[in-house]
Amino acid sequence: MAEVQQNSGGNGKKGAQKKMQIRVDFTPMVDMNMLLITFFMLCTTMIKSQTLTIALPSNEKVENTENMSQASADDAVTIILDAKRKAGSTDVDSVNGKVVNEVYYYFGKPGGDAGIFGPGGVVLSENNNMQKSEFLADEVNAGKHTAKGIREIIQKRNKDVLDEINKIKEKYASGGFGSLETKADREKAQAAYDEAASAIRKNENLKKPVIIIKSTPQASFGSLVELLDEMQINSISKYQIDNMTRADSVMLIDYQNNHHGN
Amino acid sequence: MGRVKIARKSTFIDMTAMSDVTVLLLTFFMLTSTFLQKEPTTVVTPPSVSTEKVQETNFVQVLVSPEGKVWLTMNNDTSSSWSNEKMRMALLDKVSEIYNESHKNKVSFNAAQKQAFSKLGSFGVPLQQMGEFLNLADQQEGQTKMDKWMQGEDMDKNHVTGIPISVSSDENNLNEFQMWMKALRQTENENLSQAIKDGTGVAIKADQNTSFDVIHMVMDNLQTIHMNKFTFLTALKAGE
Repeated sequence: MAEVQQNSGGNGKKGAQKKMQIRVDFTPMVDMNMLLITFFMLCTTMIKSQTLTIALPSNEKVENTENMSQASADDAVTIILDAKRKAGSTDVDSVNGKVVNEVYYYFGKPGGDAGIFGPGGVVLSENNNMQKSEFLADEVNAGKHTAKGIREIIQKRNKDVLDEINKIKEKYASGGFGSLETKADREKAQAAYDEAASAIRKNENLKKPVIIIKSTPQASFGSLVELLDEMQINSISKYQIDNMTRADSVMLIDYQNNHHGN
Repeated sequence: MGRVKIARKSTFIDMTAMSDVTVLLLTFFMLTSTFLQKEPTTVVTPPSVSTEKVQETNFVQVLVSPEGKVWLTMNNDTSSSWSNEKMRMALLDKVSEIYNESHKNKVSFNAAQKQAFSKLGSFGVPLQQMGEFLNLADQQEGQTKMDKWMQGEDMDKNHVTGIPISVSSDENNLNEFQMWMKALRQTENENLSQAIKDGTGVAIKADQNTSFDVIHMVMDNLQTIHMNKFTFLTALKAGE
């Protein structure tokens, strides 16, 4: 506890001031502070959520379809999200409490130019142009990132835009958009870079894919966000979330039946 | 031989420096953190590379449980003329107005109930049961009872948790969730209406394992009432 020690100035000179030594024991104070810190650490959060903005198309009927841009079949990439099922069941499988995502894709029309349905609505499974992919992180080799899985596929389709983006990225790094010395300069350069990147994404002369995101009811919300992330990572300017069509379901089931256990 | 004398040393440790450090730490935590909101269900938001920070004010959080239950939380600017309390009162008036237009079984709330509603953090009970729910606030242990109701751990089988939501694409036949969202836009809070228009006004918070059909239903509901822009709450992804 707080103690006040008084030297019994035995050898002190006469008239010298008495030396007082005052010590306050801070241990209880520290105890209390630690408790308060523990309380704040447990009851508060420092992480602020991030947000991902989504814009859905209006569902109003459009009378004038003349000026609408049509996605050509060449540019269309359909990505279908699904969840891994337990063997021999339709229940969703999960590992460590997390649903296992599956991602399928096809280019152009379902079934290619021939279509997936033959005369009389027979399913032509030989025309199934669906393929399976995965969400994979980049392979890093000596500082060089190589995209894998679905990202590799998207990047290949969006090569024109990404090449341009990489060019301006290098330009930014070498100070082409202004010096990167001070914070204000960096912000200025960043703004100029963002503008240039946005112009590239909007450039009609570059070949760009139109990505249509579809999902089975069982697929997880996490996989949807992951796929929307890929759009951002790969600078995809045209994508939309759509409903599964009959052809999509047929192809998906057909694929899963043919690749059982893979 | 004389014994070696061991000098008695004081075990007194000076805690002043330690105390300084802990006070600094405490100050840091108090200034940088925000209190955890008590929510009816715990969700783990999916990781994303998006670095856009969530708005601090002027947004409505739609909490979606994996079972498809929905709760709303208001976050209004406390400094402006639309405080959370005022906003909630206006919202309750508006939503009962919309509800009574299309239902024979009318709902109305007295002053005490409105007062109780203005104090709610998040809410999610059907409008028909809202009166009963709000009456709990004045009772003993009312807060605990309300929390239990909101979490679906109530003993009473008649008590419904979550705002009723269903697949609805008919603009003239809205479900209660759509009524709430519509009411939000119709209150005279300009800041919130603008935020909803910009897409930052509605934030959907759902667990990463929530199935797509649940999310799809919520998105469809919003699309039907022409709220085409909204945000998903995500957590920051490490790396990349």
